[in-house]
Amino acid sequence: MRKRTRIGVAIGTVALLTATGCSAASAPAPAATSEEVAPGFLAVADSAAPAGGELVVQVDYDTAEASGLDPQGAATARSWMLEGLVYETLTTIDENLEVAPGLATSWETASDTEYVFTLADDAVFSNGRAMTADDVVGSIQRLIDNPVTWTGQLGPVASVAATGAGEVTVTLSEPYTPFLAALANTPAAILPMSEIASGEVDITQEMLGTGPLVASAHRQDEQWTFVPNEHHPDAADLGFSSLTIDIVGDEATRAAALRDGSADLAILNSTDSAALLTSASDVRVATQRNTDFHYLMINSIGGDPALTDEGVRFAINSAIDRATINDLVFGGSASASGVTPVSLPDSCDPADLPSADRDLAAATSAIDAVGGLELDLLVYTDEPVLAQIAQVIQQNLAEIGVDVSIEQLDYATYSGRVYSDPSDFDLALSWFAGYADPAMVTTWWSPALAGFSSVYMSGSPELDELIATGASAQPGDDRADAFAQLCSLADEQSEMVPLVLRPSIIGWNTGSLSPSISSDEGYGDVLRRITEFRAG
Amino acid sequence: MTVILWSLRRVLAALVTLIGVSVLIFASVRLMPGDYTDLVLGPLATEAQRAQAVAASGLDAPIVEQYFRWVGGVLTGDLGYSFVSNVSVSEEFAARLPVTATIAAITIVVTLVIGIPLGFASALRSGGSAGAAGKLLSALGISLPEFLLAGLLVFAVSTLGLGLSVGQFAPFAVDPGRFFGSLVLPIVVLSVGCVAVVARNTRDAVLNVLVEPHVQAAVARGETPLSIVRHHVLRNAAAPILTIVGALVAVLLGGTVIVEFVFNVPGMGSYLQTALGRRDYAIIQAAVLLAAMVFILAALVVDLVSNALDPRLRLTGGSRR
Repeated sequence: MRKRTRIGVAIGTVALLTATGCSAASAPAPAATSEEVAPGFLAVADSAAPAGGELVVQVDYDTAEASGLDPQGAATARSWMLEGLVYETLTTIDENLEVAPGLATSWETASDTEYVFTLADDAVFSNGRAMTADDVVGSIQRLIDNPVTWTGQLGPVASVAATGAGEVTVTLSEPYTPFLAALANTPAAILPMSEIASGEVDITQEMLGTGPLVASAHRQDEQWTFVPNEHHPDAADLGFSSLTIDIVGDEATRAAALRDGSADLAILNSTDSAALLTSASDVRVATQRNTDFHYLMINSIGGDPALTDEGVRFAINSAIDRATINDLVFGGSASASGVTPVSLPDSCDPADLPSADRDLAAATSAIDAVGGLELDLLVYTDEPVLAQIAQVIQQNLAEIGVDVSIEQLDYATYSGRVYSDPSDFDLALSWFAGYADPAMVTTWWSPALAGFSSVYMSGSPELDELIATGASAQPGDDRADAFAQLCSLADEQSEMVPLVLRPSIIGWNTGSLSPSISSDEGYGDVLRRITEFRAG
Repeated sequence: MTVILWSLRRVLAALVTLIGVSVLIFASVRLMPGDYTDLVLGPLATEAQRAQAVAASGLDAPIVEQYFRWVGGVLTGDLGYSFVSNVSVSEEFAARLPVTATIAAITIVVTLVIGIPLGFASALRSGGSAGAAGKLLSALGISLPEFLLAGLLVFAVSTLGLGLSVGQFAPFAVDPGRFFGSLVLPIVVLSVGCVAVVARNTRDAVLNVLVEPHVQAAVARGETPLSIVRHHVLRNAAAPILTIVGALVAVLLGGTVIVEFVFNVPGMGSYLQTALGRRDYAIIQAAVLLAAMVFILAALVVDLVSNALDPRLRLTGGSRR
């Protein structure tokens, strides 16, 4: 009888899986928890738990960067996470998303533009050579001399110099508040500069860092194997003998691997997965809040001619019900956000945005004035929740007379239509990394600075000015005020419309793994506290 | 027409087809929307970074030059390098082809052992309930989508155990037991459809032969059913059955995308699937060309074998009707 029930459950589950992507309107409440077991933590590794086993983690896709394994060229959160196992940064982010010491044990700010870092004296690259101030200077200088995506996030660095044994001073040309937070991400990792300069190491092909792990094998899109870096200060206390990262594209397969024990931890994409795993008593699924957020692009340059009208764009913006997206797509685990991620200090309050009133009568009137609208809405298939968000938007916009047809595309096609010049879409959904400082993501609202958005949005000098003000203002009321103005103006212009935060769904096998996972994350690094994990 | 001349014409036709297919593959891949630089560099990259990536991957050369460079490479055994991993495509094929070939070979054996007898039984009892049941099962097997069956098996196996795991793949050289264990579920999923297709085609082929005058005459002469099958049906039904089996071999060897993706088996299908998503041209071109070559070769072999079994095909250009 029990077996029959299980088979019935299996059949029902497959039916549910098949329906995923078209069930937003009736999505069940997720079984994933965001309950903290300690302040700031979804899980805290039990130091008494069995250790020394092989840790197996399943993720949905691999790194894929034109720069190979060079951390400075890492442009996606997945690369930051995987390469972050091998590399360390001067600063890091704690469980409260605050900047904390990393390879720099402390720092002093003599002025708004001068940072003096004291370096850790026990940092050693995995080849056994101790890290020096020259490695720090060389790494930052390399990032500036060879501009990549992260160079812009680093801010206006005027100079970087070794100013003593184990001391480095960085001078900015103007105040830039996110500087310490920008140093915390993998692209700002400290590299073995003398080995790179001598040609001993090709950093695009081989990773050599001071991090807790060393990559011993990698087959692209298949598997990574990491072993402990015996020179790392935490090496003796590491709670596992090796780490295998399996790349498993299918969500149901990752969920099955958690259930049958072939994976200790897996990254999931859909809140539905948590519901599917409720029958597995030794699997826990948790929702990690991210500062990342989903947003809607309204193409005012290459889209429907009516979208050049700010009033029409605002009507679309104001008709979208963020609360419904949060409830139906994320089971209530996310939150509405403005341009500055709502979970970060000084960020704007989405409830104060002009569109928050959802004046549907005014929105309908604006759409009626242009004789109704038929728009396409592009989503890419790699991120299943986008289709679900699109369905909610489709229903919201139908209420004001906008007929939306959803187009689900593979990412290459999506990318070609959204970012090429001329762009070819009316509406499109995507997400931004929110990082750990509210000013960092605001840059993308300036087409002049971001570049990629110039094919579908115009921006404005006023918005650019507020972006600059927000980046240079010190934390506190003035900065909060600048962000509030920035969020409001971007909301009125409605070219890129923030929707809701984008959480990470993480499942792990409680029988084989005792992990430490923070409640919030800013750089998509689910494995940030890997040195605390214990796998039996 | 002599056997040798007929065979040479078939080989020549296969070569011409292959050249045409190579042009089509190259053109199709380049016509796909979106390109590799957008994907691996992301929207935040600068124009200089894009230009550098394009130059590094050789995509800045004229398209015709790129084609001939590719074909020249293929003829010398150089299938190019992945844009993403910079690993030789030949090297990846060497690791992945045996996985897919093993799945395909075992699936074909299972298909032949179950599908052909099932088709014969269904045809010989076409008037009864057994024949109807065979027809129904074949229809079900053909219509059952692979992804649905695969998803069901993934969940069932992870819930019920059964001694299998969806995440247990290991190369043959590392652990033969885990290697074959990881292939069981993909083979089961593929076999369901293949058995159904072969059983259905075998049934139709046998029924077509059974109504031939010479078979009717044998029945009138009072020959036993076994004798009729052995002497009159087997040989005549072989050509259409061979054709469908040949097509299945080609499809299976070309890549079993869905099952490899769902069961996380690193074969040709999953390799191609990932490459398609990234517009990794060298991999896509090589994998599709390989699939086309296998298909053309399988069709050629089927033609030659069918001709050996039934010389009348030579006179009618391959078709008896």
